Formats: sequence, structure tokens, C-alpha cells
Amino acid sequence: MIAALLLVALPLLGALAALALGHRSVLAAVLVAATSTALGAWLAFSQGAPSGHLWGGYFTVDPTSRLFLLVINLIFLGVVGHVRGRMQQAPELLDGIERFIALALTFLAAANLSVLSNHLLLGWLALEATSLAAAPLVARRATASAVRAAWGYFLFSSVGLGITSLGFACLARSLEHSGAEPVFFFDQLRTLASTPPDAWREAGLALVIVGYGTKLGLAPMYSWLPDAYEEAPPSVTAMLAGVQFNCALVGLLRVLQVYRDGEPRMVSLALLGIGLASMAVSTFSVIATHNYKRLLAYASINHGGVIAIGLGLGGPAAYGLVLYVVSNAFIKAILFLSAGKIDDHYGTRDMREVSGLIKDLPASGLFLTVGTFALLGFPPFGSFLGELLILSELMRAGYVIVFVAFCGLLTVTFVATGRSIFPMIWGESRKPAPRLGLLTSPIKLVFVAALVTMGVYLPRPVSSLFVDVAASLGGVR
Amino acid sequence: MTSLLTGYMLVLLLPLFVASWRVSLTGLSLQGLLMAWMLLVRRPALSVDLVVTIVDLALVRGLVAPLALRRVLRSQRRPSREDVIPPNLLSWSIVVGLVMLGFQCAAWLHPAPGAQHAQVAVAATGVLLGLFVLASQNGTFSQAVGALRLEYAIALFELGSPTHLPLALRLAQVTIFLGTVLTYAHYVGRLRSTELAAPSARLQ
Repeated sequence: MIAALLLVALPLLGALAALALGHRSVLAAVLVAATSTALGAWLAFSQGAPSGHLWGGYFTVDPTSRLFLLVINLIFLGVVGHVRGRMQQAPELLDGIERFIALALTFLAAANLSVLSNHLLLGWLALEATSLAAAPLVARRATASAVRAAWGYFLFSSVGLGITSLGFACLARSLEHSGAEPVFFFDQLRTLASTPPDAWREAGLALVIVGYGTKLGLAPMYSWLPDAYEEAPPSVTAMLAGVQFNCALVGLLRVLQVYRDGEPRMVSLALLGIGLASMAVSTFSVIATHNYKRLLAYASINHGGVIAIGLGLGGPAAYGLVLYVVSNAFIKAILFLSAGKIDDHYGTRDMREVSGLIKDLPASGLFLTVGTFALLGFPPFGSFLGELLILSELMRAGYVIVFVAFCGLLTVTFVATGRSIFPMIWGESRKPAPRLGLLTSPIKLVFVAALVTMGVYLPRPVSSLFVDVAASLGGVR
Repeated sequence: MTSLLTGYMLVLLLPLFVASWRVSLTGLSLQGLLMAWMLLVRRPALSVDLVVTIVDLALVRGLVAPLALRRVLRSQRRPSREDVIPPNLLSWSIVVGLVMLGFQCAAWLHPAPGAQHAQVAVAATGVLLGLFVLASQNGTFSQAVGALRLEYAIALFELGSPTHLPLALRLAQVTIFLGTVLTYAHYVGRLRSTELAAPSARLQ
């Protein structure tokens, strides 16, 4: 119980301390993130860790929260490790660093709170708080385009979450109409959701899917994502893509855990439609762009689309979905952090002006290579296995048209991404940099190891955690 | 429909046809105050929850949010003309269509006629019009107004629900909304100069 409390309290205390610590706040953030990750790992794998509902039922430590707490805290540790490395290389970035760290730690506290929440509105409020903390971080570079991107990010976040809250209100009305007392606790909702569905519930679920879909950067409300991911500093992009994305996803997972059995067809069709539309817009955008940061952002929309399709399928695809989601978090962290280093080195985001990365920046080049292969769903990475399981379930469930469209879009994305990224890696050297070993990025090595492990062999405790999360989405044990 | 709801509908629609930021903000202010009035008309028992809701509706939505935006716009000496939606026949026709769609939604969700039905209809219309403002405008101020219209419509919808939240959650909700409004005001101020400047070429 104390461990769960510490996951929220420690980053908040760290945020307050950061304001007083000045330049040393980065080290404090690394310590807080390392402690949070250790706590997350203990909650995820220890037999003696608490489980069930805490503090009047407002918080829950279940397989979903245990898995995602570990993932988001580990990614946050990678982010602050990256920030610390950058500060040592470029001391000019230290200007205003204590504010940056305070906001980042507040973001982490809100993210942990949203994942731990057993209450629809508490989780929603915590997610709003992550947006409030992240908006100034997106605008940190203070250029006109960065400020505009931060505005777009915040506007879409608040509108998306507004639509989600309207969906919650409709779900509460549905309960009221069935004669039950409206409640917002997930565990209580599970017992009440067996009542026959009505128009309120259908409207509520549709609004919740569109609202959380906006936060996940899914079509039709995705236009904030490429701008925000491009203009934000790489560490912030990794936080949005690896941490906040998963918090919003947990919110959607929890609603689906409650309601998917009552409205299977409506939920499936909505998610399959949104997923395919997201894959389609990202594919065309990947073809058109010459900006590698935007390309990675569009690839994130594509991944979001695959996740939406996996959620729409549920059942046996659930295990593949969990594998894909966790892999996706590590892939995005590796790629966005590496893209930041490439941008700093070459001073351009135009992929036509970058080549010979593997010779100029061997470590970043190697991470970009590995990340791109994982992004494209190559074996031996977890994303390959996850995608394969989702595809096979599409066929098994009889969604042949969706299967064909999925494969077609994936192939085009594959070719367009490879055609753009590989010349950056293998081409002629343009601007060699002093050699830095792979060990200067230990956390990225951890992410790569996690990706390979998920594709080859999952240790029993990790595997059973994945199976438990999949089971909560209708997967088989 | 009660006279208060009719009044709410008027302050929802009129600013769309009057191209002035002052009218837009006055409309938002009146929406907040009318919602507070609707709550008081029901003569609920005095409680902390009621006080927090009144503070949220009358003070935060009725006064703080419009005044925060007004302060920014006045400091920029912004011309009074500010279209909330494009001033053409197509936009106005869409508005009429959305009003009808809002009432259609209410007929689907709450078929029984009465006060609840009317409130759902007006709230649904508010949500649709807020989304229309957001979809049809690029300017920061107009987008902020669109998002606030959406938030206010959601508040009107929740006003008809008997759901009671714990005090801590209600306070957190009000605080987050206040933070959102102040962030909107911050960006409306900060982005004004870039809106006036020529758009910079972006590498696609």
C-alpha cells in the first residue's frame, strides 16, 4: 500500500524539491525515477506486493496497473537519463532546467495516479493533469512553431478529455435509467454493466472511444500529434509517446474491461473503423514526409491504429495486443530519443540531408536501425509476435476485408519507412562525431533487450503478468 | 422548455451571428450564470457540494473564465470584430442543422418529453455547436471559445444528473478546469503575435 502511495507522492515531492535544487534537480529526477521504477518492478513481480483496492476503493493494484506502472516508470527513467546526458554535453540546456524537471515529475505523479485509479473520474482528472504539466514542456524551445504545437496539443487534449467526460456522464445516465445508483468505481461498474444496454450506454461508449482516441492520436482527431511530437524536445516526445499514451490507453482498457461484453459488436466496429482510418492516414503521411521526426510521429499513429484494431478484436488477440502495446512503448522511446540526438548533431530534420549515421553517430545509428526494424515488425522483436497474433485473430474472426486492408497498409508503410530511413543509416558519412560507446545509453540498451526478450522468450513472472492483463480483455489464460 | 433554458439557448446561439469577441465572452459568462441560476431554482438543500457547484458555475465559468480571456484581448488592443464561425450562409445553415440534430439526439436518448428532455436537447446542441466552432476556426481565441462552449455544454448536461461526487473530486475538477482556462488565456496571449505574422514554411 505504501509502495503505491509512494509512486504518486515521491515524484510530487521531487517536483517541489526540484524548484529549490537548481541544476542538481536533474540528478534528483534520476533518483526519483529509479526509485519509482524499482517500486513499479516490486509491485509487478513480488509475491508480497499488495493487490486489490486501496484507500476506499479509489486505487487499484491489479495486473493492468502493475504492468503499466512498470512500463511508464521505466520509460520515464530512460527519459531523465537522456536529459542528464544531454545536460552534460550541452550545458546551455541547463537554463530553466529546474522548472522542466518540476513539470516532468508532476507529469509522472499524475501519470502514476491515472494508472492506479479505480475510479473513472479520478483517472480522467489525473490524465488532464498530465496534459496541464506537459503543455509547457512541449513549448520549451519557445519558438513560434513550438508554442503553436503546444497549443494544438493542449486544445486537442482538453477537447478529447471533455468528450470522454461527456461519455462518462452518459454511462452514468444509463445506470440511472436501469434503476441503479450511478457509480464510477470500475469494480462496482463490472457488476452493474450486465444490465441490458440502452441508447445512453451506446452514446457513452462511442464518446469514450472517440475521446480517449483523441488522446491516443487516433483518427479523426490526430492532427495535434505530428506537430507536438516534432516540436517538443525529444525527451518530452518520448514522455508523450511512451508514458502519456499508455495512461490514456489504460483508461480506455478499463472502460472496455467493464463494458465490452455488453456491447461487443458496437465496440468492435467502432475500434476497427478508427484503427483502420488511423493506419490509412498515417500511411499516406509517411509516404509524403521528408522529415524524420514527423515520420516517426506518423508511425506512432499507425501503431495506435494497430492497437485500436487489437482492442476491437479482444479475445485471443488480447495477448498479442499486450505484447504489441509494451513493445510499442519501448520502440517509441528508443526512436524519439535517438532522433533527438540526430537532430542535435546534423541540425536538420530533413532526412535527405542526413546520411552515414552508422559511421557518424554509431550508437544513435545502431539504435535507429534496431528501432526501425522493431517499428516495422521484424522478428525477433515483440512487435512482430504481437502483430502476428492480431493478424491471425482478424482472419479467425472473419474480418477478411479488414485483414486485407491491414496487410496492404502495413506493406506500404513498411516500404515507405524503409525507403526513407535506411539511406539515413547506411549512406555516405557527412559529419563524423567523436565516438561514444553504446554504454553511454544504458537505458536504451535495456529497452532493446526488453524488445528482444518479448519476441523470443518471456520469463514466467512477466509472461503471467501479460496473460493476466490479456485475460482482463477477454483473452484466454 | 423553461424560460431559463430558453435564455440559455439564446446565449448559445446569438454570439454565433454577432462577430464580436465581447459578445462571445458575454455569452460564455451568461451561460455560466444561467446554469448557476438553474441549479438554485431547484431549491436544493444547502450543502458543501452545492456551494462548490455554485462557485464552479457562477464564479469560475461565469466570471473568471471570460474575464481571463477579456484581460488578454484588451491588453492586445484587439479589434472588436472576431468571427466565431465563418460569416456566410453555409455556416448559418449548418448551425440551424446542428440545432435540429441536437434535438434529434435528445429524442433518441431521452424520448419522454419534459424538463429533462429539453435540458439534454440544449446540452447536445451546445456540444455540437462547440465542435463546429472548433472545426471551422484556426484562430487561437476562436478555438478557445469553441472548447469552452463544449465544456459549458457538458456542465449543463451534468447539471441534470443526480450523480454526486465526493468533495475532494469536485474540488479537483474545478481546479483542473480553472487550470485549463488559465492555460487557454496564456496561449491566446502568447500566440497572437504569431497569428499576425506570416506563416512560416514547415518542412513536410
